[in-house]
Amino acid sequence: MTKKISEQTLKKSFRNWFFWNGCSQQAESMLGMAFGQAMAPVIDELYDTKEEKAEALKRHVSLFNTESQVGSVVNGIVCGMEEANANGECTPEIISSVKTALIGPTSAIGDSLWVATIIPILLTICLSISQASASTSWLGAVLYMVIYPVLTCFISYKLFRFGYKSGLEGMQTIMANGQLEKLTSTMTVMGLIVVGALTASFVSVSLPIQIVRDVYDATTDTVLSGQVLFNADNMLNAIFPRILPLGLTLGVYHLYAKKQWSPMKLMVAVLALAAVLTGLGYATGFYC
Amino acid sequence: MSTFQIFLIALFIYLGSIGSIVGNTIGWYTLGRPLVASFVVGLIMGDVPAAMAIGIPLQIMYMGNVTPGGAVAWDLSYATYIGTAAALALGKGLGTTEIIGLAVVFAGIGGLVGQLMWNVSYALNLPLNRLANKYAEAGETRKMYIPNVVGGQIIGFLCRFIPAIIVLTSLTLASGQGDFASLIPGWITTLLGVFGGMMAALGMGIILSFLLKKRYHIVIFLAGFILVTYFGLNTMAVAVVAVITAVLYFMAYDKVKVEA
Repeated sequence: MTKKISEQTLKKSFRNWFFWNGCSQQAESMLGMAFGQAMAPVIDELYDTKEEKAEALKRHVSLFNTESQVGSVVNGIVCGMEEANANGECTPEIISSVKTALIGPTSAIGDSLWVATIIPILLTICLSISQASASTSWLGAVLYMVIYPVLTCFISYKLFRFGYKSGLEGMQTIMANGQLEKLTSTMTVMGLIVVGALTASFVSVSLPIQIVRDVYDATTDTVLSGQVLFNADNMLNAIFPRILPLGLTLGVYHLYAKKQWSPMKLMVAVLALAAVLTGLGYATGFYC
Repeated sequence: MSTFQIFLIALFIYLGSIGSIVGNTIGWYTLGRPLVASFVVGLIMGDVPAAMAIGIPLQIMYMGNVTPGGAVAWDLSYATYIGTAAALALGKGLGTTEIIGLAVVFAGIGGLVGQLMWNVSYALNLPLNRLANKYAEAGETRKMYIPNVVGGQIIGFLCRFIPAIIVLTSLTLASGQGDFASLIPGWITTLLGVFGGMMAALGMGIILSFLLKKRYHIVIFLAGFILVTYFGLNTMAVAVVAVITAVLYFMAYDKVKVEA
């Protein structure tokens, strides 16, 4: 008789993963224990003897890591493979190697598509709603609180079921036919426009240098006090509006992406720069 | 902050951190985001609009916070709950930009404590592997939740909740020491304001590192930028333009590929 994982067990396995994938994260097995727990009900159902169960559990508490929301596809694929193994159509070695091989791609897709693209875009839209008016600023937060978990849970479960149903071949097909690349680059375009707008709206930095003098006006024969003769910031903004925030943002990007500065180091550098600018502002009478 | 408020905020700091009992989707990626966290703090402290005014710039600044492979750059949950609560408790009488600057500083302090506690929990979780392996060797499928959920949660809760209580209590004691706003010299509040505005570049710069994959991508970023500076659109309007552009790009993608 061929063995099959029941609907109920699959759901339980997904629940174990979805809620508790990050519980016991550490450097030795990363998400290994969580993966083991997620596989436990499946193993319990598929294998009869203690020895078989022990063998199966041991291969799933070993090192595993992924971006866990999108990575549920791996859980689905592994469930399918364990089922095949219980029916003698797969070997434990294949299961382990496939699992290991999937760590890289699923982490990369999850981090770049979901965490670094979908979340910021959704946050940006909700931020814009919150920012529109102080009295309705709660709305954006509430929208995010509802949309993000529901959407993610839905996608994560769909991926899990897809992995179980279509297996590794299914995932390879998706990755090979360019659909994923199409989706990713579309998201990237959307994200870039939005991030550009956010940079223009929220990053603020000015060059606080100005020359203030009392000016003698010959036509009316009066002394106009405190006239701003030169304002570095206005001059720069006349050339290209908000050029300094743009420059600072691209500078941070360069240091982070190309020079591998850590965020902490960048934060200290920004603080130092802020201190210099503030000092300059006081020295030239920009702040008082 | 009252004892009850401190308790609630500390509880949410734990819930919003990585690996809490509600899962990372609801916890870290939702309750832990500054936009949501500031809303929760606003509810607890009874001033949602003021809390949101702090949360929005914090969200921008931490927008680039992605956690690849468990490398936590800042503990967002710690950073924003503490940053917002501190700015609300200590910032009475300060202007908006200075309050934001204050929030940025306390978020930095909170984030550091959080990162430290993350590393502690990361280390404390290691021995749980022994337990997991023991149960695995014995084939105890029904006990696999013990190392992961029970063990992981006890360590996670202790590492988040207790330090949060300590930090929040000291904040409350400090705010009781008198009018905090009048104690800060003027140049510090100016510096805080400048720093707060510049920190937004950090979030944007880091998120760009994930999005700029090809050289010409910088032009798309600039398009979004000038829609605000030259065309005077607000971010919501640009978001709509972005969605439209994305749809057109998606439709044209295959054609361009075939021709090229």
